Amino acid sequence: MSEFDVIIVGAGPAGASAAIKLAGAGSSVLLVERGDPPGSKNVSGGVLWGDSLGSVAPDWEKAAPMERYVEAKGVSFLTKDSKISIDFRSKKLQERRSGYTVLRTKLDGWLSKKAKDAGAMVASGITVDKLAFKDDRVIGVEQDGDIITSDIVILAEGANPRVAINSGIRERLKDRDVAIGVKEIIKLPEKTINERFNLTSSKMGFASEYVLGFLEGGVKAGGFIYTNKESISLGLVISMKEMRQNNNTRSFDLIEQFKEHPYIAPLIDGGRVDEYSAHMVQEGGLKSVPQLYGNGFMVVGDGAGFSFSNGMVLQGMNYAIASGIAAAESAIKAKIKSNFTMEGLSSYEERLKSSFVLQDLMNFKGIEEVTWSDMIHRGIPNMSEELFLSLFSENGQPKAHMINLLIRAMGHSDVPRKDMVINMYRMLRRM
Amino acid sequence: MKIEDRLSLLNYKTDKSYEHITINPSICETCPDHFCTFACPAKCYSLIEEKLNFKYEDCVECGTCDVACSHGSVAWNNTKGGHGVKYKYG
Repeated sequence: MSEFDVIIVGAGPAGASAAIKLAGAGSSVLLVERGDPPGSKNVSGGVLWGDSLGSVAPDWEKAAPMERYVEAKGVSFLTKDSKISIDFRSKKLQERRSGYTVLRTKLDGWLSKKAKDAGAMVASGITVDKLAFKDDRVIGVEQDGDIITSDIVILAEGANPRVAINSGIRERLKDRDVAIGVKEIIKLPEKTINERFNLTSSKMGFASEYVLGFLEGGVKAGGFIYTNKESISLGLVISMKEMRQNNNTRSFDLIEQFKEHPYIAPLIDGGRVDEYSAHMVQEGGLKSVPQLYGNGFMVVGDGAGFSFSNGMVLQGMNYAIASGIAAAESAIKAKIKSNFTMEGLSSYEERLKSSFVLQDLMNFKGIEEVTWSDMIHRGIPNMSEELFLSLFSENGQPKAHMINLLIRAMGHSDVPRKDMVINMYRMLRRM
Repeated sequence: MKIEDRLSLLNYKTDKSYEHITINPSICETCPDHFCTFACPAKCYSLIEEKLNFKYEDCVECGTCDVACSHGSVAWNNTKGGHGVKYKYG
């Protein structure tokens, strides 16, 4: 007889959502979190997209500590001197409120409390070392030589999955699996944020991703700026593979280059940096998804490689929550049948496959090659800069037709025309 | 802003009795790239007189160095008992 029905390792959005769902269904749940208090080790960009939380906390929009809902969503290409942007604002986006900026210490603290209120036992400040096995079956977790037993363990340990690696159920991460994320929280008065980002109330927020084609040393990175109530989350996601090939740029220096860009600096002018953080970002797509379940265990969230990035959006928490809930539902089903083997937990993968979690990863297979391509990072920014300079500046010369301008601009892209065409085709196909 | 100043904004509960990451100096000595010094976002790895110096106290536990080191020098474990970095916002 096990001490718990389910032990969940990690109290981020994935683990806490699983705990709320399971405890709510009457399972005995232990939610183990190494941070104390829960949330204090967790980092996101972060925008929580979608309504995944609705199924474990129907009142989340009112009750959860959200910062601002995303009223304005941008995508920008930055060159050394220019910014080429889509700044999408819509009353329809406002009505849907499909994304909220969040700060994870607050959100995760709230979710853990929800899990506790639902009846889960929350143990914070405790580090699980590895899974405990009997024969080929997981029977619980091991911490400092002690074993706590459960019928099922759900691993929700995030982007740096030490327990899974230490337990031999997944390989160590490789360059292709992750990017390096660095971020600052920059304090600014609420009113200043509203003015600078053209937001008409403090409930409305701005979220934008940036392709940084101008970084010294040519390393490829994406930037982001999200507005919180009284601060800005500004950060970079740097490709590990690119960093290694480059080997002359330091990850912690790049954020300064982003902040000093002529069209970024005014947004944060006078702001005070209040926190610096770093976190790995899952970037490998389907190729990086490990074994998702086995005898007595399931893997959810970042630890399972669930995230989505196509250069225009960057999402993770919604996949974390949805996968946590899927694992909880599968655990409930397994309990009814008293079958905790791999076969008994196989409905987990089926659930993921019928939801956006695995469908997105399957439908956008290979997108990471486009996201980090020369075309995105140099081709499009340089070409657009040249094109718009031709279009929008006046030098007293006869005007050329658009197609001629475009062909000429392609010559300025630093990327061979043939590669541009091939990559453009790939991108359209994969998007 | 210097990385040292950024790190000084962080709260840590340093575990004086346990280093959660250890390196193998003999491997680092012959390392051709020292990629860790470029990749680690908390500047825990630096070359001092061409010798690799590592300090676990500034670590933000992201796990980057374990991926970055392709020579098998880094042994990475989680911090224990609520030790390590403690974010205000996250």
